[in-house]
Amino acid sequence: MTSSQTTLAAVVASVAVLALIPQLMQSNYIIGIAISGLIFLTAAASLNLVYGYAGLLSFAQLGFWGVGGYCSALSVMDYGRSFWVGVLIAGVVNLMLSTAIGLAIIRTTRHAFVVATLTFALLASLVARDWVEVTRGPLGIPGLPAPRLMGLAFDTTARFYYIALVFTLSALAFLYCLMTSRIGLVLKAIKQNDPLAESQGISQTPYKLAAFVVAAVITGMAGAIYAFHLKIIDPSFLDFYYMQTFLIIVIIGGVGSFWAVVVAGAAMVVLPEALRFSNELRMVIYGVVLVVVMMFMPSGISGWLEQRRIAALRRALQ
Amino acid sequence: MTPLLQVIGLSKAFSGVRAVQQASFEIETGSITGLIGPNGSGKTTTIDCISGFQHIDSGRVLLAGTEITNFRPASIARAGLIRTFQNVRVYDSYNLIDNLMIAEAPFRGLNWYDALVRTRAFCAARMAAENRARELIDLVGLIGLVDAPAVVLSYGQKKLLAFAAAMMSRPKLIVLDEPVAGVNPARINEVGRMLRTANQAGMSFLIVEHNVEFINSLCHKVIVFEQGSKLTEGTPDQVRNDPRVLDAYLGVAPAPPVRAAKAVRWNIPNWS
Repeated sequence: MTSSQTTLAAVVASVAVLALIPQLMQSNYIIGIAISGLIFLTAAASLNLVYGYAGLLSFAQLGFWGVGGYCSALSVMDYGRSFWVGVLIAGVVNLMLSTAIGLAIIRTTRHAFVVATLTFALLASLVARDWVEVTRGPLGIPGLPAPRLMGLAFDTTARFYYIALVFTLSALAFLYCLMTSRIGLVLKAIKQNDPLAESQGISQTPYKLAAFVVAAVITGMAGAIYAFHLKIIDPSFLDFYYMQTFLIIVIIGGVGSFWAVVVAGAAMVVLPEALRFSNELRMVIYGVVLVVVMMFMPSGISGWLEQRRIAALRRALQ
Repeated sequence: MTPLLQVIGLSKAFSGVRAVQQASFEIETGSITGLIGPNGSGKTTTIDCISGFQHIDSGRVLLAGTEITNFRPASIARAGLIRTFQNVRVYDSYNLIDNLMIAEAPFRGLNWYDALVRTRAFCAARMAAENRARELIDLVGLIGLVDAPAVVLSYGQKKLLAFAAAMMSRPKLIVLDEPVAGVNPARINEVGRMLRTANQAGMSFLIVEHNVEFINSLCHKVIVFEQGSKLTEGTPDQVRNDPRVLDAYLGVAPAPPVRAAKAVRWNIPNWS
């Protein structure tokens, strides 16, 4: 079997397993974890597009995540739209917001970009807390209703799981097409050596902006769905915990590698649960694993594999 | 006939230090032109200005009669002027084919939709580009490493790869910044041969180099820079025998020009 056939087989098997999880697992708790895992994985994969491919360390993802969550919650609760329209609105609002922000900050240097995006994330959380007339402030918006589609209510965790699964699979498929296309190739080229890319006639700004906007839209829609999984949205939805989770998945997997981030995303969800055999030490072991991975594989698992491949090639060439 | 490249009264200062002053020269279509001069004479600044990497204070640059003064580097590249870098630049993590595929121009007629869904037109363009990339990599003698990431290449091999990448988009003019500095001396003649072959196929070159022998053996015209302005220009023979050139390099013009021309070679940093 060639490596692409192996990949295809692995993908088909994983999708089959994922589709059967609600049947295999009776516990709502586990299915809930799986929903979070899928949504976090989607957000991490889109962060990988901005950070791993375009080389932009964007903390704005957290802001887009929150904006998406609030947009869908407000469209349902205040404007009486359905969940599906709410998710769509979350995407459209993020599209406009990220285009405006991106146009302003995409040309800035690395550090300025980090600070600007971080500021946006903090600002979003401030708005969520202090614009009480719209967001209800710290009280949040509780009681988000279960989505309905053609008479079918997604009112159990198992049913909601399928919304998350379909969304995640389509988002990942889209990102995969994008990252493996010439656009992905050019994005990584710009990240590696932007003067060279410029000297070859590639304008950086449109590519970086596109990556920033696509990631914002996907993250926003992921946030919109996640809010309805929690059934409540409040300012803690913009907690740095989420950004941290996305970043850890991307960094442990290896920036700029689609499959490594997907696998790392799955591992980051399964690992804390697998460690439940020793409940007291669970988080300690989890932390130790993260530290060890970062100490010995500073460029992530995919980066580590790549370095080994290059070292082997160098030896072969001598 | 309009010259391929016209530089008219080019000036550039860095916080008061005049790096290039009132430099004017022309490059003919189909020629190989050399640009030489002592360290700090403004050669690299000149090509940075021409290729858009530095903002020009005053003066004009025309490519095939079209204004490209102070265009962005990417626009200048798309207009048909491709440059390489003195400190060689390649995409380290990409294999040699992908290094050249990035530089390929025909994709620019296709939009993001073609790239994303891989339309038939896109696949045809990619297939053609891959074949051309393979030919060029073969031309520079790196075909044995075609699937290796560029990071495993030696400094000299990276220069050859950068040269192949510059050829990839079939530009009007290629500006090479020190193409043989750091290249194994045994391979310098080979680089010269490649340049000549490409030139016979119609490619025009502007070469900035310290290796005077290399320039003299290759160029139709040599331009000499000193202290930010053009000192003289002419055929390699004319320039070699010009006392002002020797003076610029060595401070004095020794009596037998032939010996002095050899002496010039001391100045050549040879890292290989």
